[in-house]
Amino acid sequence: MEERQYDLIFICRPDTPETDIDKVIATLEHTATEKGAKIEKAEKWGRKRMAYRVQKLREGYYVYMVFKSTHGEVVKELERRLKVSDPVMKYLTVRLDEELKRQDKLKRHRERRAARRPRKAAPASTPAPTPAPAGEQAAIT
Amino acid sequence: MADERAPQQHNSAPSGPSGPSSGPRPQGGRPGGPAKRGKRNFVRKKKVCRFCVDKSDYIDYKKAEILAPFIQDRGKILPRRMTGTCARHQRWLTVAIKRAQNIALLPFAAEL
Repeated sequence: MEERQYDLIFICRPDTPETDIDKVIATLEHTATEKGAKIEKAEKWGRKRMAYRVQKLREGYYVYMVFKSTHGEVVKELERRLKVSDPVMKYLTVRLDEELKRQDKLKRHRERRAARRPRKAAPASTPAPTPAPAGEQAAIT
Repeated sequence: MADERAPQQHNSAPSGPSGPSSGPRPQGGRPGGPAKRGKRNFVRKKKVCRFCVDKSDYIDYKKAEILAPFIQDRGKILPRRMTGTCARHQRWLTVAIKRAQNIALLPFAAEL
């Protein structure tokens, strides 16, 4: 099975010390690698104001991670971990590889179209040669 | 709600004047006009999909500040007819907004 990419965001209570957050991240990384996934990125966004109250709190400590895996079991396990860990209030996992693939495809499509119809490229290229003769003249003189 | 609409129109305003060919406003001489003589004819500004202008192939749910203009004060997603977003981008946009709501980057509904 091909590799899938996921985004994982979780929000900790704002009063958790930094060390505890690091601990949560470390356990997640440990379980992920154990299950055969690889963590691409782990970013701490820090304390942010949330759009609505969660557990009667207005602020939360956001952590953002990206990981890749070939099977979905990892997600289940990571979410279970997040659910049982105390400082975590909320989490969200999003599968992104299909959207990234689509993005790639559209990008390539656009580039190909741009290459096929060099309408804009032609006027841009014509001014380019003109400085060249000038440069030659300058070289001659 | 009213003040939510206002900025949207302001945003599309710069592109407006170049769109409709009829320059002078009074009695807008459109072909379909005569039937509605006497009533004021609106020259509607052409709204352009902001994501098409930016040529975006993916709308990131993590960037709440990009998504924020497309929700009402009360938290509703603005319809296409108000924002001028194209069908494809509106589809992506709703998904992005809903994801952002789930992780408390955007509100589901306004708080009291």
